[in-house]
Amino acid sequence: MTDPAQHTRRSPVYRKLVAAGATFREAADGAVAATVPGAPRPLGLADLSVLPRLGYKGPGALAALATVGVPVPEANNTALAMPGGGLVARLADSEALLLGDPTGTGDPLAAYGALHGAGCYAMPRRDSHAWFTLAGDRAADCLAKLCGVDLRPHRFADGAIAQTSLARMNGILIRDDRGGALAYHILADSASAPYLWDCLIDAMAEYDGGPVGLDDLASFASAE
Amino acid sequence: MKLMPCPLNGPRNISEFACAGEVAELRDPADCDDTSWAEHVIFSNNTAGVVREWWFHTPTSYWFIAERNTVTDEILRTYPAGEVFKARFDYAAAKDEGGK
Repeated sequence: MTDPAQHTRRSPVYRKLVAAGATFREAADGAVAATVPGAPRPLGLADLSVLPRLGYKGPGALAALATVGVPVPEANNTALAMPGGGLVARLADSEALLLGDPTGTGDPLAAYGALHGAGCYAMPRRDSHAWFTLAGDRAADCLAKLCGVDLRPHRFADGAIAQTSLARMNGILIRDDRGGALAYHILADSASAPYLWDCLIDAMAEYDGGPVGLDDLASFASAE
Repeated sequence: MKLMPCPLNGPRNISEFACAGEVAELRDPADCDDTSWAEHVIFSNNTAGVVREWWFHTPTSYWFIAERNTVTDEILRTYPAGEVFKARFDYAAAKDEGGK
């Protein structure tokens, strides 16, 4: 078993996953929880915080991304799949966020790491934000307890983004279904990530939810 | 919960926002005495009626302008600040004028 503490890059919630008995595997330059005892569950929360992600901001950010072949969405607060895995999320006219492949294999962002200049500035989203994925049919019901935005599937389409207050923290929510199963990426301040993790685990309890590993997330797609 | 229509994010709970006061035209520092400069910096008009205000959506760090009736607390319209402020303020030109 890989020990997450042997890597310099660690998730802000890795101790909670160690306490839950998770089995870790190498991913990117850290270790992710691959499986957690109790999985599969009807509602699962996975920690993707060590996986690659990049942010770009500035008046020339979207144009710079388009010139290197990133499929920039037409409208603000929408996300599109990237070739080779991962997502590009358009947060504003002057800001985008690239998420790496959520299965933790390969790094589709490696080609885009050096964009800088001409009104395009790189943001260290991998250090500033934690990244969780909440998956399961009751995910929207669970988030309704923490968030004022209507995230129900018929109101909040696949690929939609809400930048809003989540458990009184500022967060970015991106709907990214897995196979046919409802799933949301949650990005929020890394320093407060253990608090948010506890809030989500508490909110999930009534739906028989709990922590799952990255490899357990695949079961949500195959269950359909 | 009162709702604020954010130009970027749509209707959101007003607790996600911060109000930063009236939209006031910047006085020309080169042609402005100390009293009127102090009034510009420190005092607000406190108008009873429709005002234009700066508002800030905290989760996205997004600034915009809202037209609000301070008597009825109705929000009439919100729009990006770019609709009003189309060019950057030229500090270099203002400084040159002040130094003459």
